[in-house]
Amino acid sequence: MSWDSFIWFALGAVLLWAAGAFFAWKEKKALVYLCTLAGIAVFFAFILGMWISLERPPLRTMGETRLWYSFFLPVAGIIVYSRWRYKWILSFSTLLAIVFICVNLFKPEIHSKSLMPALQSPWFAPHVIVYMFSYALLGAATVMAIYMLIRKDKTTEKEVNLNDNMVYVGLTFLTFGMLFGALWAKEAWGDYWTWDPKETWAAATWLCYLAYLHLCKARPNEWRLACVVLLVSFVCLQICWWGINYLPSAQGLSIHTYNVK
Amino acid sequence: MWVKPWNMKEGFLIGGGLLVTGLLLQWVLGPVEWGLLAWPVNLILLGLMAVVVGVLYALRRKVYVFEWMMHSGAAVPCLSYAAALTILMGLLPQVKGTDVPWLSQMLRFWPFVLIWTWMMLISALAALNHLLRWKLREIPFLLNHLGVVIAIVAATLGNADIQKLQLTAFTGETEWRAVDDAGMVHEPGLAIELHKFTLEEYDDGTPKRFASDISVYTEDGKNVRGTVEVNKPLKVNGWKIYQYGYDVRYGAESPYSVFQLVRDPWIFWVYLGIFMMIAGALCLMFFMAPKPMKS
Repeated sequence: MSWDSFIWFALGAVLLWAAGAFFAWKEKKALVYLCTLAGIAVFFAFILGMWISLERPPLRTMGETRLWYSFFLPVAGIIVYSRWRYKWILSFSTLLAIVFICVNLFKPEIHSKSLMPALQSPWFAPHVIVYMFSYALLGAATVMAIYMLIRKDKTTEKEVNLNDNMVYVGLTFLTFGMLFGALWAKEAWGDYWTWDPKETWAAATWLCYLAYLHLCKARPNEWRLACVVLLVSFVCLQICWWGINYLPSAQGLSIHTYNVK
Repeated sequence: MWVKPWNMKEGFLIGGGLLVTGLLLQWVLGPVEWGLLAWPVNLILLGLMAVVVGVLYALRRKVYVFEWMMHSGAAVPCLSYAAALTILMGLLPQVKGTDVPWLSQMLRFWPFVLIWTWMMLISALAALNHLLRWKLREIPFLLNHLGVVIAIVAATLGNADIQKLQLTAFTGETEWRAVDDAGMVHEPGLAIELHKFTLEEYDDGTPKRFASDISVYTEDGKNVRGTVEVNKPLKVNGWKIYQYGYDVRYGAESPYSVFQLVRDPWIFWVYLGIFMMIAGALCLMFFMAPKPMKS
């Protein structure tokens, strides 16, 4: 198995995932599971094939780790779907998986890049994957918050509830990402938290989302204020993710800058 | 305002009061000296904090503010202040050294420390409140609030007890002396013999793997042979041994390997808190999230 055959597996998996997402909107439960799981199996067959032909788990290059994002997104999607029956979740996870698949298809140079020793850790994939999943959900919640703020009085209780739900799930994964990072850092550098600029912004982001959660509890009717808090939180999240590369305070200090090199 | 039941406004005022108090402390005492917290001062502070939480809880029916502290309305202002100060810390370059602007050392800035202490206090109170009216369904709340308090309090109080030393071992030789950041020589109670240092590179010349094949001899007679590499430290007698460096002029032919030795007596509690938070985050998704409404 090699990258040459990737496009065929990817195409098959994406079609199956898209069908699963479609049936979720049509409320055809059995078909949702059938299509999504079949897509996951097709995609995993490629990963497995790579694993065997490379004689190592495909986790070394950025392209290889991106395979795992594309794999885990529908997995997470179907878990969330099985728990809450959100109609949108599978469309969303499929779309994101497609983005990562496209990056792998159209940016072949990434495959030759090698991981520096500090990144060669079992924590690497989970740390990044849960963050990606959380960024995606919180991004969706932000779009929803803007939509609700624009429509003002037309916003329904159900929409507020749905958005609240996305933030809870997003925050769960944000917390995982942060804590996996801490556990990894202890193994790699001997410190679980050093207030590196990336960590500082991760803490700020986490506190903002916690403020949102507690605000919704303290003042259930203040959903507009809560939406504004979500916007502020998302700005922090963006600074944490890529904005710090442009912040004067973080120049040359962050151990997380290999993302851009 | 100040009409019962209190909500968030009162919290923002109390937080403002803490900021002013912090500024006064900063002005009078100077930046926070974390080094003073070394054992046993940190244990005494921990005991003190436990007593304070207990007393506030016992008086909650008599003093309204203690009752209010346990509610989410008190958490919002506190989290907002903490977030604002943390954002400020992210925007302003943080530097080491003495005689620097207050905001350039946010971790030593009294208002920052007071707000975080306030946050730990109200989380601990809320956790105690839920613990004492124990039911199974309180577990998610407890994991989150108790977890965060245990992790942050242990990390903060334990920080002064962390020992970090650097040990340089030459190939074929055994070294038992190590230096700290200030250049002081210590004997950590173990010796490292370097058998071989390995540096592997990718085809394009970027480093792929640094590893040291070592034997560790301890004072109590242990003899451990193992490989230390990046992301794979070796644990011996409470010390974690990390691959730290080598002589970059010689690359793969480096005559020595540098190890970092770290000992953190509080690490168990930090990990306990972190694992409680991980379990708590799972609960957040599965039990605490509001149930979706039916269409």
